[in-house]
Amino acid sequence: MDYRTVPTTCVYCGCGCELVLKVLDGKLTGVLPSKTQPVSRGKLCIKGWTAHEFVESGKRLKKPLIKKGDELVEAGWEEALDAIASKLKSIKDESGADSIAVLCSAKATNEENYLLQKWSRAVVGTNNVDHCARL
Amino acid sequence: MDALRSKVEELLKSGEIAGFLGMRIVHEHPYPYLFTDKESVLLSTLTIGDVRYPLAKVILDIARKYRDAKLGIMVRGCDESALFELYKNYQLDPEKVIALGVTCPAEQVEKCRCPRPNPTNIIVGEKREVKADRSNLAMIEAMGEKEKYQYWMGQLGKCMKCYGCRNICPVCFCEVCTLEHEDLVRRGEIPPEVPNFHLVRAFHMAGRCVDCGLCEEACPASIPLRTLYQKVREIVKTHFDYLPGEDRESVPPFQLLGDGSFEISEK
Amino acid sequence: MLLNSAKSSSEEEMNEEKVFEPKIIAFCCNWCSYAGADLAGGMRLKYAPNVLPIRLMCSGRISPHFILKAFQKGADGVLVTGCHIGDCHYMKGNFITAKRVAVLRDLLGFVGISPERLRLEWIAGSEGEKFARVANEFTEQIRKLGPSPVPDIPYNA
Repeated sequence: MDYRTVPTTCVYCGCGCELVLKVLDGKLTGVLPSKTQPVSRGKLCIKGWTAHEFVESGKRLKKPLIKKGDELVEAGWEEALDAIASKLKSIKDESGADSIAVLCSAKATNEENYLLQKWSRAVVGTNNVDHCARL
Repeated sequence: MDALRSKVEELLKSGEIAGFLGMRIVHEHPYPYLFTDKESVLLSTLTIGDVRYPLAKVILDIARKYRDAKLGIMVRGCDESALFELYKNYQLDPEKVIALGVTCPAEQVEKCRCPRPNPTNIIVGEKREVKADRSNLAMIEAMGEKEKYQYWMGQLGKCMKCYGCRNICPVCFCEVCTLEHEDLVRRGEIPPEVPNFHLVRAFHMAGRCVDCGLCEEACPASIPLRTLYQKVREIVKTHFDYLPGEDRESVPPFQLLGDGSFEISEK
Repeated sequence: MLLNSAKSSSEEEMNEEKVFEPKIIAFCCNWCSYAGADLAGGMRLKYAPNVLPIRLMCSGRISPHFILKAFQKGADGVLVTGCHIGDCHYMKGNFITAKRVAVLRDLLGFVGISPERLRLEWIAGSEGEKFARVANEFTEQIRKLGPSPVPDIPYNA
């Protein structure tokens, strides 16, 4: 029986409220607002209160899926990455680098988002990068 | 605090409880934490904390998974009142909970003005006395009907439907909430159906609200929720002579189906 | 032509000063009060058409949600009817109704909605005359109180 509370920052908007994640035996069970943080002061919006839900959601992908015909088929990482690389290369050759756009996510860390935009600009060669919170 | 720490250590070492729910300081901030036997070193950080977290709600999480485990919990007066209501609603087994009481510092008691600042079994702190203050209710009762309505519509119209009041309430334990039901509360509206949403919540607090004030602290729009629920407490006290959280034994009026104690007039 | 149009315009003016017709929702329990309402119809008793009955199996089924939702949707008054105490078809359903309505009335009063807009009546299956009388009385009472303040809020769609 291991129950701990982990303070962390909410992933969504730029306010940066602190959430106190409730973790029971390694699984997220809920969220409490942090009472001592000067930004949120014990209050959260609906996104903050439900920010923990996507972690344990049953809808999350567990394996890469590739569309073969009409169906999404489970595939290995190597196969998936090869498919992405070859497809993106062929689109870049056909229509130019600017025909590719990249959308980052608030559910990823800032470091991951930075990497993604660096990759889009340096590797793919496109400036069409955006973030769901317009970061 | 040392008295509490040694009592907890004793309970843990003897194996009477599987874990003790208290607070500890992490990076200079207090957070709830379950102390278990393996971490007796961390017991030295057991602290009351000058901010309140709904420990009664946290223990529900643990108790739901480990139904047979005996747990200890550090309770202020309000936490214990909430525990009483949870026992009465069969959400927690009182045989499986050992509550060690602490009283809040005097400034906190002055600020909070809760109805029951002293837990039954006080380990740390002195008995506190608090004068009841009805001024917020009296201010509203003094208004005329139209004025009252304008006041409440203005206040309830600030609501942003964050469900904070419901999520943090220690006596709100339903796993499926009617406030999220499509047929009862329309979706996609901010503010949510005024005044329906809040009156429904207020009614659900009848016979349950222990006046801990966590809802008002959690409301980002600073709606005077505590005032509304205090009025509901008064209404239940007037009609049924019942105050939630006062003691372990009295039966909530809405749990009794039919009883002769309530005067029903044939109007 | 001119005379005719002048007459019709004054008639229109009179019609515009319409009498306020309250909208009243009556929650009736299936066994007693709905039967009572039915009997009122059977006896051809005239009662105000403002009262719209909704049938439930027992008055104890009436959740405070329903009453509050009725007000939210624009009802000017809500009438809760059930079997007499001790006569509930399900033994004790009407006790809980009485408790709920007692709390709800005071709560509505605190928020600025007149508690007289919510009324509880025990009506037996044989009391058709009582149903008609209560319906008429309540309609007049609400007419005097005026329209419910709730739909005036701009937030409500």
